Amino acid sequence: MHNTWKAARLDLALVKPYGKVICFTLLLPIAFAAINRSLLTGVSFAMCFVAMTTAYPFAVEERSDMARLYGILPVKKRELVLGRYLFVLALGVLALVVSLVVQPVVLRALGEPVVGMDLLQAAVGGGILFTLYTVFQLPGYYKFGSIKGRVFLYLPVAGFLFTLLLFPRLPLGSVSLSPVLLVGLGVVLVIVLYALSIWCSVRTMERKEL
Amino acid sequence: MTNDLEVRNLSKTFGGFRLHDISFTLPKGYIMGLIGPNGAGKTTTIKLILNMLRRDSGQVTILGRDNVADEQRAKAEVGVVFDTNYFSGDWTAAQVEGALSGFYPNWSTRRFAGLLARFGIAPARKVKELSKGMQMKLMLACAFSYDARLLILDEPTSGLDPVSREELLQILAEYIEDGEHSVLFSTHITTDLERTADYITYLRDGELVYTGGKEEFVDMFRLVKGGREELSPRLRERVLGLRTFPTGFEGLMRTQDVGEFPGLYAEPASIHQIVVFTNKGGDFDA
Amino acid sequence: MKLILSNVSGIPIYQQIKQQVKAAILSGQLGEGEALPSLRTLAKDLQISVLTVTRAYTELEQEGFVKNVQGRGCFVLGRGSQRLQEHLKYRAKTCLTEGIQAGKLAGLSREDVHHLLDILWEASADDE
Repeated sequence: MHNTWKAARLDLALVKPYGKVICFTLLLPIAFAAINRSLLTGVSFAMCFVAMTTAYPFAVEERSDMARLYGILPVKKRELVLGRYLFVLALGVLALVVSLVVQPVVLRALGEPVVGMDLLQAAVGGGILFTLYTVFQLPGYYKFGSIKGRVFLYLPVAGFLFTLLLFPRLPLGSVSLSPVLLVGLGVVLVIVLYALSIWCSVRTMERKEL
Repeated sequence: MTNDLEVRNLSKTFGGFRLHDISFTLPKGYIMGLIGPNGAGKTTTIKLILNMLRRDSGQVTILGRDNVADEQRAKAEVGVVFDTNYFSGDWTAAQVEGALSGFYPNWSTRRFAGLLARFGIAPARKVKELSKGMQMKLMLACAFSYDARLLILDEPTSGLDPVSREELLQILAEYIEDGEHSVLFSTHITTDLERTADYITYLRDGELVYTGGKEEFVDMFRLVKGGREELSPRLRERVLGLRTFPTGFEGLMRTQDVGEFPGLYAEPASIHQIVVFTNKGGDFDA
Repeated sequence: MKLILSNVSGIPIYQQIKQQVKAAILSGQLGEGEALPSLRTLAKDLQISVLTVTRAYTELEQEGFVKNVQGRGCFVLGRGSQRLQEHLKYRAKTCLTEGIQAGKLAGLSREDVHHLLDILWEASADDE
């Protein structure tokens, strides 16, 4: 666990030079939320953007040929992979929290009412979207690298367009799930997907020759 | 005498290249040169030692620990320098420390700062702005900051100017002075090893040609020269990598064979000459 | 004591070290009980292999010039040491034999050589 934490910190060090870009992607969705007058749209944008930044650590390590550093560090490859997931999750949580704190403030200022259920829906929806993007992205980057695997970079865009078209047609209003069930189902889905994704990535990494 | 590195019957086949049955040992406190032309298997051997490539068979013991079963503990005491640096180019020297220090329990911030000062690397300089020699020294500074007991260098001097190469040799000589540190140094620029190396391991086409003391290695051969009229068929048989030209010939001969040809001019050969002549079709097995 | 190693002399480095240490001991520049430079420090300073210095020191010990004290270093033995005496005698013998052969070549008689030796002895006594 200790090494996983350190590996996540190493990833933070990797993307540090891109801190400004990442901040920008965290704040830009506020504008989208304001234009669309919708928290759900704003959060979807936010998760789409932040999922696109998860390619950064892969891109940096590929450009500087840092696989060799991973080859000499006294850590297991599994720990490096877990660290990367931890870092990516932290990034997603940060984006979600920023969106859920700032966007309602902006929306209310524009006269748009935001209630507790809206927040919950946006949180669960955002979490699931981010999960759906990253559980495919990360194993893809591990398998193909960030250059050959750049199709995975655009996965969130495709996903976002898909939800944009699909969401209005979904009879969301008629599905009256209890908040507890909604959160519960969301959490289980996220855990299962990440477990599968991590398993794939670890297998790829352990088989890879550096 | 304990061995800091033991390589036994190491083999690996991949993508048309075959490293076959390599064995050597590096005793604690000495410098071993890993030599051979490009493509001989030097980098493959080093990557197998570091378990960056998976071996097909064989065994590697680093500082008494198995390099696979006990990989992490072994690597915590090994420093590695590759021909190019393995840091993010955007990191400053200080950020390199921030990224790496947590992984090594023995890391000393004071030592790192001292080494940067000694090597003339400003902590705020970005890795990509450093010269090749400086990048090499930054990798060394990291290895020394966690007091790596075994230093593995893979072609560290390729593309370096003579001044930096000389500095590296001085640093390595100091590193092993206390008898507690060892160096495995792969290079095709064998002049780097001519003086400082204690042991030589010579690879060619993925096979081990020689491993043992450097002086014994150099003593095995003499450089012979003469006029064309001296070039008898018997001499031709004995000479490795024979080169003839209008005014004479030169080549390499096993020291024990020189006695057969009284009056033949023979002089000590350098490691460089041995590698060159034994790679010019002159077959020899040590 | 100074050590100057040549890369172009063709003489192996360990031989050069041996010769110069011996010369320093025989000339009295290195006195009895004095320590030779530490093996690893010398290797570092001269940027040569540790094993090269080890070989030079081991052979100096075998020839009776120095004594290796485990963990403390190499110390110069006195000129009274039996091994060194033997070595010095051996050297005197070889030099004299060479002199006799040169004398024979020059057509000198046994008496001539004796006479020459006496003169040279006197001359070198003045040096001391």
